[in-house]
Amino acid sequence: MAAETVADAVAAATEAAVASTADAVASASQAAAVPAEWPSVLNAVYWFIMVPMVYLAVVVLVLGLVGRLVAILRAPPQPYSLRLYPAAKRPAMAALRDTFTMPQVRKHAPAFWVFLMIYHAAFLLLILGHLDILPGLNIMPSDSKHMLGWGAVGVAVTLSTFYFMLRRFRGENRRISVPADYLLLLLLLFTFLFGDFMSWSNSWGRHGFVMTKQDFAAYFGSLARFTFTDPRAVLPFTKVVHTFFAVPINLLRRR
Amino acid sequence: MDEATSRKLKELFETKLNGTMRLYLDTCARCGVCVEACHAYASMPQTRYTAVGRAEVVRKVFKKYFRMEGKIAPWLGEVLTLEDLIVDQLYDAAYSCTGCRRCMTFCPFGIDTQMIMSIAKLLLIGADREPKLLSMLADMSIAKAETMEDTRASFEEAVRNLAPEVHERWPGVPGTDAVPVGVEGADVLYVALAGKHSIIPAAAIMNAAGEKWTLSYFEAVNFAAFVGDPKKMQAIARRIHDEAVRLKVKEVAIVECGTAFRVMKYMTGSHPFKVVAFVELIARYLREGRIRLDRTRLAGRLTYHDPCQIARNGGVIEEPRYVIRHLTDDFV
Repeated sequence: MAAETVADAVAAATEAAVASTADAVASASQAAAVPAEWPSVLNAVYWFIMVPMVYLAVVVLVLGLVGRLVAILRAPPQPYSLRLYPAAKRPAMAALRDTFTMPQVRKHAPAFWVFLMIYHAAFLLLILGHLDILPGLNIMPSDSKHMLGWGAVGVAVTLSTFYFMLRRFRGENRRISVPADYLLLLLLLFTFLFGDFMSWSNSWGRHGFVMTKQDFAAYFGSLARFTFTDPRAVLPFTKVVHTFFAVPINLLRRR
Repeated sequence: MDEATSRKLKELFETKLNGTMRLYLDTCARCGVCVEACHAYASMPQTRYTAVGRAEVVRKVFKKYFRMEGKIAPWLGEVLTLEDLIVDQLYDAAYSCTGCRRCMTFCPFGIDTQMIMSIAKLLLIGADREPKLLSMLADMSIAKAETMEDTRASFEEAVRNLAPEVHERWPGVPGTDAVPVGVEGADVLYVALAGKHSIIPAAAIMNAAGEKWTLSYFEAVNFAAFVGDPKKMQAIARRIHDEAVRLKVKEVAIVECGTAFRVMKYMTGSHPFKVVAFVELIARYLREGRIRLDRTRLAGRLTYHDPCQIARNGGVIEEPRYVIRHLTDDFV
């Protein structure tokens, strides 16, 4: 029953969102009117990225984390203390302080520390913003057009990640880095940039729009219910296409 | 390197993979904050002498043999195989690390590079590429315990010959040994280095304090800890442990060798006696008024640099300062 109620709510919200941006969508669709005519292989790729790959990523993450945790817990314990002195009076509190405020980095690399703190605080808000999509959680009003932070959170993680990437190209940091470090930052950077595009920067244009909290809720709702539905059934698809294709399409008229 | 050796080294590597080591090998983000931490890097500014540079040699081997990444996408982490060239890199990394653990105070995760270097050292021992001098000295230390009865008389005679030099510093009490050896029921077993320079001053101080002490037959330094052989390290420490138990002492005081102190106090399990650094003993004698120091003997301003193994890794921080304050009024 609850699922049906949520589904109804999601459907209604999606319908409302689509209707409210009909004009913009019509314009965008003209520019990117490709979905229906896409070759079936592109349809399949799109569906794979938006649905099964999401599940796959979650499964790999969970299995990987659990696997490593089990390996660590099953391994023999460290036979002697590795404590540094002067010893902390309250070791647990000291470990929490080290973890969340990184005083070692603040002391030895203050600029890096500033970006690290911004990044981690914003990332926390980012997770909170995505949890806000869950039914029953309303950090932002349920009819809000914006995610938590009105886009500022996305900008914060994007700029920080950009700094981390630049840092990797300098001096010893460049020499100690491996391809995985660049790949991870690139993936994060692109994820954040797409997030920024979808959640607010498209609204700068004359026919701009934003992907609203309701839009995201529709998509994640269908994933959470394991419907395996093509996301175009729940997302205002032309918006998504607009997001992904705005740059290459603009490039066509400039090149 | 043949396949049998490579397999043997992989098995040796696996013996070091306890829970803590797995965390250390999996966690590094290569943020580079530790780069400036290393003393070796300060004098030889090359990436291989940074804490992360050293650890990465081991970590890349770990990824190759113990992580899926090393099998399906080795280029991602630039993994390394156990070939001769890598053994050279391991040597460079392991034996240019002093084990001071300063890098731990820079790392946001607190990764202990010395721990990671213990893998490199064990692999080098497995490949028969460790510094042979250190291995020979470790073997000699173990052999000394095995031939103790054969050499006891000559050792005791050599120690008796030190008496005049001890008496130059402290006249002593007539009828007592300047350097007692093998005294059952003594309160303190003093473990010196293999040289009179570490026996005579300590003997004078303990005699002046009226301590009931005895000199260990063995030297404190643990060469197996330097070379990175955990079994031999335990065997060398065990000699002192067994001697202390046999003599029923309450305390074992270690000469001013930081590694010897740390190994005995923290890295060789629990003991039925207390382990102290000799400077702790001096501070105690001063507190209890058993000895006094002349503040006018040393001219000029004094300062103190904490030794890594005694202070950062051993927790003996205030006692040296307490002693110096009794030596001068100008301590900064």
